[in-house]
Amino acid sequence: MKRSYLIIGVVVLALLAFLPLIIGQYLLNNAVLIVMFVGITVAWNIAAFGGALSLGHAAFFGLGSYTMAILLLDFGVNPWIGMLAGMVVAAGGGLLLSIPLLRLRGPFFTLASIAFAEVIRLVAVYARDFTGGSEGLTIPYAPGWLNMSFSDREPYYYIVLGLTAIAVLVSVWIYYSRVGYQLRASGSDDEATRALGVNTAVLKVVALVISAALTGAFGAFAAQYFFIVDPETNFSLNLYSIQPALNGIIGGAGTVLGPILGAVLMTPIGEYMRGAFAGQQGLNFMIYGVVLVGVVMLMPGGLVSGIEKLRARFRRKRGAGRRTDTTAALNESRTEDRL
Amino acid sequence: MELLIQTLVAGVLLGGVYALVSVGLNLLFGVVRVINFAHGEFVMVGMYLAFWLWAGLGMDPYVSLLIVAPAMFLLGVIFQRGIIQPIQGTSANMKIFVTVGISIILQNLALFLWGGQYRTVSTSYSTSVFTLGGVTISVGRLIAFIGALVLVAALFYIMNRTMTGTVLRAIAEDGPTAVLVGIPVKKFYFVATGISVMLAGVAGVMLTPFTSASPTFGFHMTLIAFIVVVIGGMGSMVGSLVGGVLLGAIETLAGTYISPALQQAVLFAIFIIVVLVRPQGLFGKGAGTEEVGLK
Repeated sequence: MKRSYLIIGVVVLALLAFLPLIIGQYLLNNAVLIVMFVGITVAWNIAAFGGALSLGHAAFFGLGSYTMAILLLDFGVNPWIGMLAGMVVAAGGGLLLSIPLLRLRGPFFTLASIAFAEVIRLVAVYARDFTGGSEGLTIPYAPGWLNMSFSDREPYYYIVLGLTAIAVLVSVWIYYSRVGYQLRASGSDDEATRALGVNTAVLKVVALVISAALTGAFGAFAAQYFFIVDPETNFSLNLYSIQPALNGIIGGAGTVLGPILGAVLMTPIGEYMRGAFAGQQGLNFMIYGVVLVGVVMLMPGGLVSGIEKLRARFRRKRGAGRRTDTTAALNESRTEDRL
Repeated sequence: MELLIQTLVAGVLLGGVYALVSVGLNLLFGVVRVINFAHGEFVMVGMYLAFWLWAGLGMDPYVSLLIVAPAMFLLGVIFQRGIIQPIQGTSANMKIFVTVGISIILQNLALFLWGGQYRTVSTSYSTSVFTLGGVTISVGRLIAFIGALVLVAALFYIMNRTMTGTVLRAIAEDGPTAVLVGIPVKKFYFVATGISVMLAGVAGVMLTPFTSASPTFGFHMTLIAFIVVVIGGMGSMVGSLVGGVLLGAIETLAGTYISPALQQAVLFAIFIIVVLVRPQGLFGKGAGTEEVGLK
């Protein structure tokens, strides 16, 4: 199972590496966005392994962007080192958010995570001397690999592809490791897992910190890609808190494949709607809401569980009825749905 | 000193409306056991209804309550039947994301239909104020405050003195037993959600004379209402009232004495602190808080 995943992953990655040779600059921009959202969603999902559904990941994304930008502009620090620093600062943010994570469950952790991200956004607007206030900071254009700054989109594409590959690798590794099993067990029944002697608190904090650090790396990348960092964009609740969470839920939170599927499917739809109905704001995001409500109500556990169910039904027809449960996080109370 | 009193009065008046929004959220939580992330969006819908009735028919916002209130009750019933009822038996996480989805749909539907600009109702009394002992009071805000108090009192009366209220409290206390003794629980869920959404819509209407409607206003109200409910205590109506007034006062005080830019940051910080230090809230009994995630 794991080895076949690895082979498929390498093949997909190799195919994706040739993508810039086929498509033009405009489509490549879409490809960068899709790959970036796959990465952010996968990073978000690492926290969801343990059952933590955060709507505050924009905080980590923005912390990554701002750390890199401020280090570059005020101290002349190289963007690659700035990206690492951004990951560290975002991880620190994750550590901070783990205080409510350990005290609260379900909706109240979700709410606390929104409040957390909003506080950081408002502070970023307020601390004008440091962050440039609501106008934000502009990253100077200085092409070259050393500066992580380019005139073409190809290098950005390869960088974000690399980052996303790392995020997916980390996610797969955690999922199939001992820690991952314990984490997922804690996600479906925390008390029972603790009763078995697993220190779930440490696991949840580690998962959130890793998730935050990876999100911070994408934040730093986005600062270089868009050449601008501002609170309304880089701390955007819609873009970087809600969207990754929705991608994850639609695809199947807590699974390896779900978030990838969700982001690959939803990002182009959102981009297409944004372009096709340019004069009509709101429509692209409304689709997100409709798909979310539809998917959650019709197939709790996301697309991946829907596909699993279809496959299970197909297999049962042929006489073998083995089912692999990958969707513990969302449908724990829908036991009657289990086969 | 005068500034302090002025600030406090403005805050308490605003807090009345917060309390009205929050009792609705609290009612829905207590009876139907759903944490509704779309609650603030119903405030926004109420504001837009009032705006369009004013802009289209020249109807005074307070008169439009006669149309908006029943319309919002009906919307609540539809919301209960179409969205809440199918997910009622599922996990808390599912309920979060379905109501978050509804919030996104309503917010962006408003953006799509009516654009992102601020819509302001201007009436003859919109800007009128009067002075009482050196303190300036806005007429619109005072009416909203009094109206909110009257409605909260009416809800108290319904909940504690009528048969409907008794049944609703019974369901809130022990839903499964309420089913066993033959209460048509589903019907009363319609009543509870209807009232909850109606109160949110009415609060929106009462805000219109002095607040502009915009698509994102609802999300702000959702957060405020949650903070109020958490501070006041889940399931406690008195807590919501006190919490609402307290939060209004804190918000305006923070705006005057710290910085308008950090007004909301202060509220969110207080929310996180309260949730960590006293998760059952100031007046919470702690009943039923575990199943929605408060330990």
